[in-house]
Amino acid sequence: MTADDGGAVGGLVAHLFRHSAGRMVAVLARRLGADRLDLAEEVVQDALLRALQTWPYRGVPDNPQGWLFQVARHRALDRLRRDGVLSAKLEALGAEWPRAADGAGGRGVDDDELAMILMCCHPALPRSARVALTLKTVGGFGVEEIAAAFLARPATVAQRLVRAKRRIRAEGLRLEIPPADALPARLEGVLDVLYLLFNEGYAAHGGDNLVRADLCSEAIRLARIVAAHPPTDRPPVHALLALMLLQASRLPARADEAGDLRLLAEQDRARWDHALTTEGLRHLERAAAGETVTRYHVEAAIAACHAVAPDEASTDWPYVLRLYDDLLALAPSPVVALNRAIALAMVEGPAAGIRALEPLGRQRALARYHLLPAALGALWRRAGAPATAARYYRAALALPCSSPERRFLERRLTECERPGGR
Amino acid sequence: MPKFLVLARGAGMDPRRSPEEMQKVIEKYRAWTEGIQRAGRLLHGEKLRSPEGRVVRRTGGEMMVTDGPYIESKEFLGGFWIIEAASYDEMLKLVSDSPHLEAGSLEVRQIEEMGPRG
Repeated sequence: MTADDGGAVGGLVAHLFRHSAGRMVAVLARRLGADRLDLAEEVVQDALLRALQTWPYRGVPDNPQGWLFQVARHRALDRLRRDGVLSAKLEALGAEWPRAADGAGGRGVDDDELAMILMCCHPALPRSARVALTLKTVGGFGVEEIAAAFLARPATVAQRLVRAKRRIRAEGLRLEIPPADALPARLEGVLDVLYLLFNEGYAAHGGDNLVRADLCSEAIRLARIVAAHPPTDRPPVHALLALMLLQASRLPARADEAGDLRLLAEQDRARWDHALTTEGLRHLERAAAGETVTRYHVEAAIAACHAVAPDEASTDWPYVLRLYDDLLALAPSPVVALNRAIALAMVEGPAAGIRALEPLGRQRALARYHLLPAALGALWRRAGAPATAARYYRAALALPCSSPERRFLERRLTECERPGGR
Repeated sequence: MPKFLVLARGAGMDPRRSPEEMQKVIEKYRAWTEGIQRAGRLLHGEKLRSPEGRVVRRTGGEMMVTDGPYIESKEFLGGFWIIEAASYDEMLKLVSDSPHLEAGSLEVRQIEEMGPRG
């Protein structure tokens, strides 16, 4: 690893604390019982705090993860003894940091993490609570970070978490891998949460809010855990993972050196992360093994069309358009319709795209969606009508959008207002 | 080379910090101590246990022991390093970019080494 990829040169692996926190909570809570989730979280937080107070003086230990787990485990034992818990339960905490599963059915950290992911995304919990709980408990995010990522107030997030834990106890939810017949439905809930996390992060990438961008890598990390585990190694999981990897592969080129947004057509495709593309295509292949086609399959196929095309012009737009038709049938939404109209414009020309986009403006869901007027502006500009395009760019700028998007739209507006246009 | 005792005082950390924030703070200390270590100047460092601590005094022939951390100000002693430096000037240069100064203070004392030990 090099310093550039966020790795550690003589230091800690990037996000080690965040990921270790999630892992340790999963391991401890699985052994203590889901009703003691709070205790698991407290002792893990204690362990991290202890590291914060000790490592600056004594240096970082050779095995940071093992150090943290031993401290957390000792704290948990102390607390349980104080509460008069029987020693049999104490032994369940084990003495060693559990290893990753060896493939022979042995229960390892990844198994505990998977059980935790499944519980956090349990259908008995409200959807917003599932997202917050997954980020907090599995992801190791702080309450303030979750609030920043979802533009919510920290108090609101904290309350959601408290209610979710109360519900876990009331419903008697367990930290376990559900039996095979119950698994597909539970997995659907997991994919829903991961998809939401990724999209939140993707929309904000390159913006001023760095925590939001972290959501993308967290969603990918969790999807990899789910996809790698035998009971949840299912085609829809690979489809979603493929989608996220292919989308993420384009992130390095989505903003230029000045942090300004670059459209697909303007991106330097050499800057795409080809390792992610390759990994994404591999998962897309594994996704094709199933009988059912999910929206993740279709979206991943669209992302793959872009990922393998050398430039915008040689993209197989008629195929992309057909995929959008499929997607519209599988998961109809105004945003999908918007993207379909853009693909239509690539196949039949800007006028066809404009005709398809205009009725969407009457949809309430898109009334405050800046990308609709932005798309119309782009198509009118391409149709050779800069004055009309400028009107749409101004309309887009009047709506909320991220600062890189704002700078992009302003640049386009200036170009359209220039005498002679374009 | 002269040795210095560097006492780290601070108000303590907010226990609700997120794991990511805690790692960032640790990384800052690591970067700082590693710089001193590479120069071969870092001899030792220890965290002091808290909130344990005893203050012992004898008043009127009777020994008085006070419990708890000895806090005269809001800043308590969290730990210390022993660092070598040619002079106070060089020592102050070494601590000038310490992350500890963001939230706490450092007391730097030269350790007396001349003369025979009693």
